[in-house]
Amino acid sequence: MAVATLDRVTFTYAEGAAPALVDATLTLEPGELVAVLGPSGSGKSTLLRSLAGLVPHFHGGRFSGRATVVGRDTRAVRPAELAGDVATVFQDPEDQVVMTIVRNEVAFGLENVATAPDEIWGRAEEALKAVDAGHLAARRTTELSGGELQRVCLAAALALRPRLLLLDEPTSQLDPDGAEVFLRSASSLGSAVVLSEQRVVRALDFAHRVLYLEQGRIVLDAPNAAAREWLLEHRPAYAGAMCVANKGNDLSDAVVQIENAWFSYGDVSVLEGASLAVRRGEIVTLEGPNGSGKSTLAKLAAGLLEPQQGLVRRAGRAGYLSQDPGRYLACERVDDEVALGVGGDRDRAYAALDQFGLAWAAERHPRDLSSGERERLGVAAVVAGEPDLLVLDEPTRGVDPERKAELAAWIVRYAAAGHGVLIATHDPTFPAHRRISLGGRVTEERVAA
Amino acid sequence: MEAAAVVTASAGAVLLAGLAATALLAERVASVAVLAALLLLVCLRAHSPLRRVYLAGAILPGLALFFLWPVLGTEGYHVLWSGPQVPVLGTLDVTVEELGGAALNALRLIAVGLAFTAYALLLDHDRLLASASFARRSALAVALATRLVPTLQRDANGLVEALRGRGLAVEGLAGHARLLSPLVAGSLERAVNLAEAMEARGFGRATVTRAPRPPWRAHDRLGVAVAAVLVLAGLLWL
Repeated sequence: MAVATLDRVTFTYAEGAAPALVDATLTLEPGELVAVLGPSGSGKSTLLRSLAGLVPHFHGGRFSGRATVVGRDTRAVRPAELAGDVATVFQDPEDQVVMTIVRNEVAFGLENVATAPDEIWGRAEEALKAVDAGHLAARRTTELSGGELQRVCLAAALALRPRLLLLDEPTSQLDPDGAEVFLRSASSLGSAVVLSEQRVVRALDFAHRVLYLEQGRIVLDAPNAAAREWLLEHRPAYAGAMCVANKGNDLSDAVVQIENAWFSYGDVSVLEGASLAVRRGEIVTLEGPNGSGKSTLAKLAAGLLEPQQGLVRRAGRAGYLSQDPGRYLACERVDDEVALGVGGDRDRAYAALDQFGLAWAAERHPRDLSSGERERLGVAAVVAGEPDLLVLDEPTRGVDPERKAELAAWIVRYAAAGHGVLIATHDPTFPAHRRISLGGRVTEERVAA
Repeated sequence: MEAAAVVTASAGAVLLAGLAATALLAERVASVAVLAALLLLVCLRAHSPLRRVYLAGAILPGLALFFLWPVLGTEGYHVLWSGPQVPVLGTLDVTVEELGGAALNALRLIAVGLAFTAYALLLDHDRLLASASFARRSALAVALATRLVPTLQRDANGLVEALRGRGLAVEGLAGHARLLSPLVAGSLERAVNLAEAMEARGFGRATVTRAPRPPWRAHDRLGVAVAAVLVLAGLLWL
């Protein structure tokens, strides 16, 4: 018997002009893992919300068609009543954690769905171990990294032993190994799993079936092998590795040089004698697992941190794009946000917005934009000042493959114009002249253009 | 609670509330100073990376009050220092009586701030929530509000970092005031997301259960008794 069905579901958010989901029809069987792919704003999250009953109950809006989940019509039951049979892991772990201590966080959902009290701690412990987070049980949730929190959120969902598990970009803050453990845990549950992902290759490795959405419509619903062929033919950016070619630029003087840098946060040593140079015209990536010091080294290069020992020399101005830039916007209007970094120069602000396809939104409030648009606004705000050294920290997190390819192409052009670019990333397909791997032994690989 | 080895969360909360109430009721500077020192020692047991932030938040307003009170106050006849005349405020002077009042009220404010610091850093709010069987929603709101402090701090740091990354220094009152609006907007956005996640996790269902928690021990009963005695002493003798 199907775990869930959508029958011609169309939904428009209360504040939306166009439907976010159009005529969606779908059946989910027990044990299958379905990957949901598509550009930002294509309706992936809305599809998951309609399966969780959050659409229309939590968001309001116009809903038509029928969604049946574990035998119940979602219009007739509240999402809280579906909890337990359905579990959701949302995109940002910091926005879903309720409790202070990790084991209590995992127990929170079990208590809500009236699990027998003498089972609760055992199931919480078992779920934490399943995602390799047993050692975090007594830790405070406010002191965990984003990746650790994502594993705790999955444990909280797994502990419910749901029949339908909904994962909305759940591995965005995990390194490749962590993401693999995460998805293996989710797929071993035996439930129907719906996984919305922007890291397409990994999602395809685990999925039995693939949906591809565009403008709210399911334009592809096919088994894995057939879906790969369709993607390769129709949406090549979603079919595998990035296909942006790097250029063999003429490299000139170093725009930043770090020598023997040491840095620690309290008692935790992160960098021990790290050295790095980025030259004009060069793209260098910093890779490695969570906690290997990529962000710290990037911040030293950008001048946001000073090494506790060692030397950093910069020639020219550095610009730094933080992780999750869409969250850190300071102004009430999009054009003001970009003009802020260029002394209020509107012409430069509009040129930067135009470059990232956001000129149409110049007078909007930044928080009215979609998450993908906000990310692009963050990039535009940093590059408007044309820094000599551009430092990007996880710039592809949550970015769809087509936008990622556009960003990569732009970065290649930016470097070719004589700027240095340093990128901290989990994405090994990003174009680079050199890839530096941190964590354990530092290795460096020169990449042919 | 890291201090759970001593008392459970609910007994700890009663004890901290008792200490804060005693500090507000006591009339002698020495008594309040002893209470503030005791609370400071408790706070220093916390190993959280946020300890410095909380301690600064607890102590700095008290110090500001200590310095402003005598200058702005108009109490007492034993003048220690007489300053210039300032429009609206009148003559700025400091009297012995004002210094005493400043010390007492500054110490009271610091003691209350330190009690909150100990509550935020040392107590297991989840257990506190679990023991609030009759007002669970209110207790949850308090627990979530307590968690807001580190989240806001993290967001503020992220915002400062993002602005510095664009070559903008965040300095002075005007610079920090610029952070206020985006921080409030960000908090509202987080609140909506959290509400959605809680609904999806079954919060608000009619039938719930509770994971078993350890029962109260002799230490807990003693802690509550000490709190009651302290409040009484604060009211009558301190």
